[in-house]
Amino acid sequence: MDLLPSSDQLELVAAASEFCAEQLPVSAIRDRRDEPTAIARKLWSAGAELGLLGVSAPEQAGGSGLPFDDEVLLFRELGRHLVPGPLVASVLGARLATLTGHPDLARAITSGDTQTALAQRRSGEAGDRFAVTGEFDLFDATDAEYLLIVEPAGAGLVTKESLTGVTRVECIDPGTRLGSASAGSAPVLCWVSADEEPIRLRGLVLVSALQVGIAEAVRDLAVEHARNRVQFGRPIGVNQAVKHACVDMAVAAEAAWQQTLFAAISLHSGRADAEFQVLAAKSVAGRAAIGNSESNIQIHGGMGFTYEHDAHLYLKRAHVLDQLFGAPRDHLGTLLALEAAQ
Amino acid sequence: MDLDFTAEQAEFRDEVRTWLAEHAPAETRPHLDAAAMREYDLAWQRTQWEGGWAGIAWPERYGGRGLTLVQQLIWYEEYARAGLPSVDACFVGLNHAGPTLITTATDEQKEFHLPRILRGEDVWCQGFSEPGAGSDLASLSTRAELDGDSYVVSGQKIWTSFAMIADYQELLVRTSHGESKHHGITWLICDMRSPGIEVRPIETIEGGAEFCEVFYDNVRVPVSNVVGKPEEGWRVAMSTLSFERGTAYTASQVRLAELVENLVGLARERTGADGRPAIADEELARRLATARSEVAALRAMTYAGICRNLNTSQPGPEGSMLKLYYAEIAKRVARLAMDILGADGLRATSRWDRPFGWSGNYLYSFSASIGGGTSEIQRNIIGDRVLGLPR
Repeated sequence: MDLLPSSDQLELVAAASEFCAEQLPVSAIRDRRDEPTAIARKLWSAGAELGLLGVSAPEQAGGSGLPFDDEVLLFRELGRHLVPGPLVASVLGARLATLTGHPDLARAITSGDTQTALAQRRSGEAGDRFAVTGEFDLFDATDAEYLLIVEPAGAGLVTKESLTGVTRVECIDPGTRLGSASAGSAPVLCWVSADEEPIRLRGLVLVSALQVGIAEAVRDLAVEHARNRVQFGRPIGVNQAVKHACVDMAVAAEAAWQQTLFAAISLHSGRADAEFQVLAAKSVAGRAAIGNSESNIQIHGGMGFTYEHDAHLYLKRAHVLDQLFGAPRDHLGTLLALEAAQ
Repeated sequence: MDLDFTAEQAEFRDEVRTWLAEHAPAETRPHLDAAAMREYDLAWQRTQWEGGWAGIAWPERYGGRGLTLVQQLIWYEEYARAGLPSVDACFVGLNHAGPTLITTATDEQKEFHLPRILRGEDVWCQGFSEPGAGSDLASLSTRAELDGDSYVVSGQKIWTSFAMIADYQELLVRTSHGESKHHGITWLICDMRSPGIEVRPIETIEGGAEFCEVFYDNVRVPVSNVVGKPEEGWRVAMSTLSFERGTAYTASQVRLAELVENLVGLARERTGADGRPAIADEELARRLATARSEVAALRAMTYAGICRNLNTSQPGPEGSMLKLYYAEIAKRVARLAMDILGADGLRATSRWDRPFGWSGNYLYSFSASIGGGTSEIQRNIIGDRVLGLPR
């Protein structure tokens, strides 16, 4: 049993953190609010060149061939920096392409040349390995050529071209481009059945990691503010009402992180209770991300209520992430129906 | 990173499981008769010692097995799975006084006390809190004056679990008034049979009577019973509390996961007036699922804490996070059981009842966020020492 990150893992995270801090400041999300994409294509490619999209992909797919926990550590860091763009769908798209023997497509995705975005079903019957039909929500699909479809029976890709009525929908999060589209028997590529590879669970772990990053980032913002903001002649952090709110954020973030890591390793190592661990992770991480983001706004007072401040960006992203790969209430229902953890 | 147990550890688990199945006490723990409780707890501890399971992570020199916290965790997990009661009367000796003695005491003190704790010969209790020094522990005023080769102790302690059946006490006394209230405190080993000690049990909201106040009237404690340096007992006590907040709760954390699963079972069986099982109620179902996710996270935190502690002999303030999270979940789960039980929750039970005394457990659960430092104090510790917030 070893749950402490290695020095190699910490190095990987530090490199990503430096890149994000320099190239992808959170404030850029506000600056690009009226652009068609939340992240410039040039920066997407630069991130891909650094290896952000290929951590767990094998070398023939342009990846680094590292274990899943490395990717989860990285995604937590991307979450901290609130990095926009279809990160999870691209990583999963490359995985589907790899597993189905399409290394060229996988390479195109990990190199950043081709984007894959999530298309999440709104209505219609679940699709299969041949075709999908119905209405879909699209997440950051502006630049995407492929869309990731995750159904109960498995996951696959469709080309964006094969969908009709692609429309932009205003999203509460200025860092997410929401859209809608219809599929009328769109042909499915790179299908992998859920028995072969639990793509949905993998997606949920990566989403949880992003949410942990958010929970930690806003904890740090709140602590910083509580240390520095002076009222009644002293920093507001001396007051237990503020101090204890910061502590509750820290505990929520820590619980979410440890469970997300536990889930990642469970999935990676094929533990029998992997689904239980993943759904538990999603549940605690989702609540930590949203709850902490809410507390952070309160601790920042009037400033936290302004568009100019970053606080709302974390809250909004936390809500977007919470809806990916299924609704939290459905996850809880499944979690309760499962066998007890090992 | 991995969650794998080595072949050796897996074998250890098998041994534990087999042994527990053969040796676990069949009788319910007597919880109303103090003498019977002492006998039960010590007999069970003695059985564990004889089986070679006492002090798994304690040094071999003092009778332990000299293994790591991973084996200790495996023991706790199997112990909880077997539905066995917690070590209660032996808790302070095993998780508190013992670890403190290991890190701080003289060889003589260690050689005398540690094997006795492991062999189930002595019950230890804690003499920290006083009526005027609860959360503000450092303002304690039970005083000890040096008289020849003894300290003479006078004052009062409170919230001392098992004082009425204890042999020894970890006793914090004021030996001088230094520059700050944290100086001038001394950590003593007090023999509970010393003349001048009077113990009065206090009934708790659960109805048990293991809780006591202790009065000291010129009680003589030999100077050789000082642990650590005189006047520096605060530092010794803080290390004691770090153990309590760190690894000592592993058993309870593991037990809580077991409790939640029992509750899920209860919610499936128990039907309301409309004939539907409690689990069909959406609100109860969601709270149960949330509890499952939280005890999973608690376990993940416990595992991570063990991995951290494998490299350090002294738990840090992160243990407070674990204790705080545990206390919140334990209380929520206990309350959830009451909501599932409905009117049946009105029937008095003890948390010791088997399979489960849910109403007793509910009432006892309030201690989780009060004992060993209230949740408010834990939040202060985390805020000040982990997050670096201003005091």
